[in-house]
Amino acid sequence: MEFRLAIHAVGAVSVGLAAALMVPVNAFGQAPNYGPPATSYAIEASRYPDAAAKPTPHLADGHPDLNGVWHHFFGGLVAKVGDNSFTLNFGQSVPTAKAGGAPAPQAKPDTDPEYKPQYAAKVKYLNDNQVKEDHTLHCMPPGVPRVGPPQQIVATAKQLVFLYADLTGNHWRVIPVNGHHSTNPEDEATYNGDSVARWDGDTLVVDVTKLTDDTWLADNGFLHSSKLHVTEKLRRVGDTIQYSMTADDPEVLVKPWTITRTLTLQSDTLGEMPPCVDNDAGHYVNSEHHDNVR
Amino acid sequence: MRKICLALAAAAALTCALPLAAHHAVSAEFDSGKVVTLKGVVSKVEWVNPHIFVYFDAKDESGKVTTWRLQSLPPMFFKNSGLTKEKLLDGSESTVTAYPAKDGTDGFGFLLKLTYPDGHFYNLGGGTAPAPEPAK
Repeated sequence: MEFRLAIHAVGAVSVGLAAALMVPVNAFGQAPNYGPPATSYAIEASRYPDAAAKPTPHLADGHPDLNGVWHHFFGGLVAKVGDNSFTLNFGQSVPTAKAGGAPAPQAKPDTDPEYKPQYAAKVKYLNDNQVKEDHTLHCMPPGVPRVGPPQQIVATAKQLVFLYADLTGNHWRVIPVNGHHSTNPEDEATYNGDSVARWDGDTLVVDVTKLTDDTWLADNGFLHSSKLHVTEKLRRVGDTIQYSMTADDPEVLVKPWTITRTLTLQSDTLGEMPPCVDNDAGHYVNSEHHDNVR
Repeated sequence: MRKICLALAAAAALTCALPLAAHHAVSAEFDSGKVVTLKGVVSKVEWVNPHIFVYFDAKDESGKVTTWRLQSLPPMFFKNSGLTKEKLLDGSESTVTAYPAKDGTDGFGFLLKLTYPDGHFYNLGGGTAPAPEPAK
């Protein structure tokens, strides 16, 4: 999932191993002889190393222009061999100027949300049984915040549209600027919630309420309650966006949980993601799992 | 976003980042201790998330054809590879390796590699491959 990207070596290596050894491994725990692994965010950033230094464009109303394709779900895995062959590389090195060059900088790992003690057992249960319990593994939407930062933004002075081409489907949010949350008591909680935005100087602040508790904050059983309140902040710096997401759930969390990302303006289109079809459900023989793609 | 990863080989402590084909370990469904080798033709492709499925009409020595349903990786993993659903369905004969299903389902496996008579191949199971070319 977006906030819990990782690889587990499967097969011989048990999930209990807490080794700090990290190499890219394939689906069966074999380590190909690739360079240092990188996130798709790092790969995207490496294509435009001077992005943050570019001038920051503005809309006619003076606010920063957030329009653009800012992130793709995934990419950079293909290692071509000759003209017509390739190997799918589970640990793509970020291209460097020359062989042996420095790898791209890695972002700090996310912290885990901190649960109240009475929820610890439930989180563990969901994590251990995630093959069955994680609805996104069965093609249900991740919702906000697990879907991650917007992959494409269409922005006007009055509203923004956030678009996501996700493994589970193609998702969207329409967010009014200076709008108000609905006061209609008949409105149901939804996967993407009720979002309104306002500008705080050059930072767009998005306030999200009315989120269904059928989703998780992130991979590995990180549940939330219907009291979850999410705040996203987006600040354009040249051709990058500094994104943060804070999840405030006083029911289950000891304190608000924040993650940050740096997005880099991409030059291609978002592209529609093919449909999600759950073809695996009947074939699992055990609960072995590794973290999810997001 | 990234947490400590498990690995088999010693390496510098680098942040592990690229996730594998979602959710269940491949070993929850497929037997990596066995490799089946099939010769035949791709007859159908479902280009869907989280796994594409390649239907392979495998012909044995007696000429009998069995259709295998082979799971592979998400469509997005193939971006910039040149491999598309159409290319898989171009009617070429190929040799395929796969891991069979653990639950005993006949003709259901995890696609590892397709190799064509002229030697070109698509290696989809990872493994030892040459390092990518450095950026120019």
